[in-house]
Amino acid sequence: METTLAQRPNGAEEPQASALAGKYLAFALGQEEYGLPVLKVREIIKVMDITQVPQVAAHVRGVINLRGKVIPIIDLRLKFGFPAQDYTERTCIIVVDVSLSGSKVMMGIVVDSVSEVLNIAGADIDDAPDFGGRTKTDYILALAKVKGTVKILLDLDRVLGSDAPPASDRVF
Amino acid sequence: MVPEAPVHDEELVAYLADPELSGMFVTDAVDHLGTIEAVLLKLDAAPGDSKLLNDLFRPFHTVKGNAGVLGFTSIQDLAHKVETLLDLARSGDHALGAAEIDVVLRAVDLLLLMTQDLAARAAGQPAVNVADRRRSLTEAIDALIAAGPSPPDGPNPGPAPMEPPPALDAPRGDDAAPLTMRSGDGHSTVKVSTQKLDSLVDLVGELVIAQSILAEDPIVLRSADDRLNRQLAHVKRIASELQRHTMSMRMVPIRQTFQKMARHVRDLSRKSGKPIDLVLVGEETELDRKVVEHITDPLMHMIRNTVDHGIEAAAGRAAAGKPATSRLRLSAFHQAGYIVIEIDDDGAGLDTEKILEKAVAMGLVAEGEVLAPADIHQLIFRPGFSTKDEVTELSGRGVGMDVVRRNVEALRGAIDVRTVRGQGTTFTLRLPLTLATVDGLVVSVGGERFVIPTFAIRESLRPAAEQIHSVRGSSCLIQIRERLIPILHLGETFSIANARPTGADATIVVLEDGGRSLAVVVDALLGKQEVVIKGLGEMFTGVRGVAGGAILGDGRIGLILDTGGLMGLIDRTALGTAA
Repeated sequence: METTLAQRPNGAEEPQASALAGKYLAFALGQEEYGLPVLKVREIIKVMDITQVPQVAAHVRGVINLRGKVIPIIDLRLKFGFPAQDYTERTCIIVVDVSLSGSKVMMGIVVDSVSEVLNIAGADIDDAPDFGGRTKTDYILALAKVKGTVKILLDLDRVLGSDAPPASDRVF
Repeated sequence: MVPEAPVHDEELVAYLADPELSGMFVTDAVDHLGTIEAVLLKLDAAPGDSKLLNDLFRPFHTVKGNAGVLGFTSIQDLAHKVETLLDLARSGDHALGAAEIDVVLRAVDLLLLMTQDLAARAAGQPAVNVADRRRSLTEAIDALIAAGPSPPDGPNPGPAPMEPPPALDAPRGDDAAPLTMRSGDGHSTVKVSTQKLDSLVDLVGELVIAQSILAEDPIVLRSADDRLNRQLAHVKRIASELQRHTMSMRMVPIRQTFQKMARHVRDLSRKSGKPIDLVLVGEETELDRKVVEHITDPLMHMIRNTVDHGIEAAAGRAAAGKPATSRLRLSAFHQAGYIVIEIDDDGAGLDTEKILEKAVAMGLVAEGEVLAPADIHQLIFRPGFSTKDEVTELSGRGVGMDVVRRNVEALRGAIDVRTVRGQGTTFTLRLPLTLATVDGLVVSVGGERFVIPTFAIRESLRPAAEQIHSVRGSSCLIQIRERLIPILHLGETFSIANARPTGADATIVVLEDGGRSLAVVVDALLGKQEVVIKGLGEMFTGVRGVAGGAILGDGRIGLILDTGGLMGLIDRTALGTAA
């Protein structure tokens, strides 16, 4: 491979950009384009009625019934600090599998629109840059150059992992 | 733990040689040992019954045979020893008296421990050293056999068995195939893992919901097509029948739990020296397997309390003119979607004055306060309450009835006590038949709907303006028949847009939990419905006042309210305003 990347100082375990080559589901939030590994995606559904749950952060929109399973819904706009926006025809819920503290959990993430599945080659993938201390980047897997634009490839486990509270001792 | 003798390592090797078959042996042996215990207790009451003896012999023989085939020598040897004693009894050469039954019961306990230890060791857990217990038991059995044919207190040896039990003559290989169980009434049964059963129940629940969503689809509702409607009705019938059957698969008779209690009573009776005649009623009453798992401990606790506190010692009974043997009745029956379990004794009854005295001393009740006897009796469910002055081996450590109450309430059940001084006490447990569903009242608040479990609801009303009292401008209390009850506005508490304010024509549902009340303001009552309870998942474990989610008829989720949690929210708000 041509694109041998410099190792991060602390990161023997960090995935090599070339190992990240593969299929990604591309979606948009505002003007920004993102990508999710397709292997994490279970399905894409239209926005349906979401049941609010009290006492949670604003970006946790609530729960929906997906064929008998109760799954939490995260609004990625709010999670990333974008201004809230009414849901439109193009708004989608991407149902994903996330690993939270070792166990696999199904979740839905609300995005502005879903565009396509991209096949991204290792050569087009760049390591996540260091934006300095002000921007948290640990949930960015890498950046990918596709047809003149840059897609931000997300590490979903890290994006959503912080929403799970520590295990508690409730009965139900 | 002390390391085990090398012979046990061989058993571990034998176990690991065929873990699947060995695992089946363990489940099977545990079953058989349970049966043996139950038969022993019956035999205790009807000594010399030859049919019971045969019932005892057969499972013992199976356990022994299977252990032998798989190479679990220590289990085989102990079972063989007991079998020798039982064989003598069966041929009428040695009557089974109380001493013999005691020893055999202890052997059953030990065999159970050894069997489970085998599985635990295979899973990498440290071994339990039972060598001493095994030795002393073997010696005890030998001593009994050596002591001769008829023990002094033994009744006449029973007649010889009418026919040899069929399983006895079967070759050992047949006994060693533990896949199917033979049950008494000729029905064959299959063991299924509970996980498979649970996912089946889940799927059927989804099917029923999917079917009702389909039936409520606008296109279907508008359609006047007879054939379509007929077919939909047909699907609905099948789906609900299917649901009924799958739910019933999770139901088990309470018999096993009762048998555990029978053993418990026998042990307690021996230990305390109080002769007890235990009556079991309604052993075949069915309830959800999950409920069964959770009621065993509370029942054990209550029975221990009854034997220790409720039933008088010999002198007390004689003085009260009661027979020396006390009567303890354990009964179970269904009542309006609940299972009711009663523990009823003919003992001394609760000492109302002593309870009150203690409650005053503990500061639970103000000095000079007048309480109805029934209210005083409820005090025994308060934390840390015990009237027994000295701590006994059986109970009376001050943790007890409040733990029982909490366990029962965690199962969405209720506990009550009735007592008559000098005549006895009855504890009544009321438990839902299943933990999978709950009867609820569906209410709306803003655009959201909530399910309030029916058991928590005391009443619902539209209050008059003068019933509502404000503190610092916000409605805080409602007066209902001389009682002031705190108000919780669900829309405000849960930040729901467009909820109606607390006004004179507000709809209020009064909830009760652990003796406290709460008036919840909602927009409207939509109707009663039985819902399937679903957990909301890890993400929402910190949410207070919500017990889970229910999928409503239109496929949307309604949150199920948790009364205790809502009361906690009120406390928090109260603290907030005070600070």
